[in-house]
Amino acid sequence: MTSDRLVECSFLIPTHRDQELSDGELHSIDAWNWLTDQLYGLFKAWTRVPGLHRGMWESAKTGKPVPDQSRRYIVAIPEARIDELRRLLAEACSVFHQQCIYLSVAGQVEFVQAPLGGAAQESPGPEGP
Amino acid sequence: MEPQHMKYVDLKGRELPLGGLDAQERRLVAELQQRAKSHPDWDDFENYWTAAVASFYDARGLPRRESREKLVYKIAQDLSSRLAVSAGLARPPDYRDELEEIIRMSFPTRREFCKATGLSEDMLSHVLAHRKHLAIDTLSQALDRIGFQLRIVPRRESAVSSGVGSGGSEDE
Repeated sequence: MTSDRLVECSFLIPTHRDQELSDGELHSIDAWNWLTDQLYGLFKAWTRVPGLHRGMWESAKTGKPVPDQSRRYIVAIPEARIDELRRLLAEACSVFHQQCIYLSVAGQVEFVQAPLGGAAQESPGPEGP
Repeated sequence: MEPQHMKYVDLKGRELPLGGLDAQERRLVAELQQRAKSHPDWDDFENYWTAAVASFYDARGLPRRESREKLVYKIAQDLSSRLAVSAGLARPPDYRDELEEIIRMSFPTRREFCKATGLSEDMLSHVLAHRKHLAIDTLSQALDRIGFQLRIVPRRESAVSSGVGSGGSEDE
């Protein structure tokens, strides 16, 4: 029965590309559509929480606080499939040009990074001050 | 207006023929177009169309990986895309986003893509990060090496269409 237990996972996708890795601009609609395609294909149900979620994180490169705003998604999945979600978000780091993506699994927070050699890792950003 | 002569024109100017849709699918498309018009909030519509299209094809026993290839899915996603772009929440893709999509769909890594096209990894990295552009002849040659070509298409109305046969949908 343990494998049938559903776990609530939520993750945040910033509305803009990372300005250290990329240009800090809005995502192309293709990036959002890619995420929808993946969620639709992988999971039976998910929801996108209406509205934007403002936050702040500290850049590991510059040590400076970076304000951002994100869209929040909630997915209820069996525990056995959490790694699938992690893999999806690792790829999302590349698609959305992010250093990492905030993931909360039943209240436990982790930051998913692009796989080594992934697109986000390959994009040299401007040097911080 | 006969359904077999109608087509839907998406945000990228691609024409999607509606002739293959059955009556229930056409009804669903009309409902989605109406919904996008009456509830233009992007989050709201995104949640609505994905649930509506999933339950429609799940009821027909179609696996999700197949139903997301259906025309109804593509039209619903395009309606959603138009809402996002018109609300300023996402931008329409340019050639650099399309290059990125080609890499994602057809090449295991950027390095492999660069090998195949002759582009340098450094240049590609800057282009995909929107810091540089490719010269048109360089882009043309690179695409030619992997079986793609540049094409100029008419710019399309980005407003949400009001129903099958108008706005985003046209007679042939």
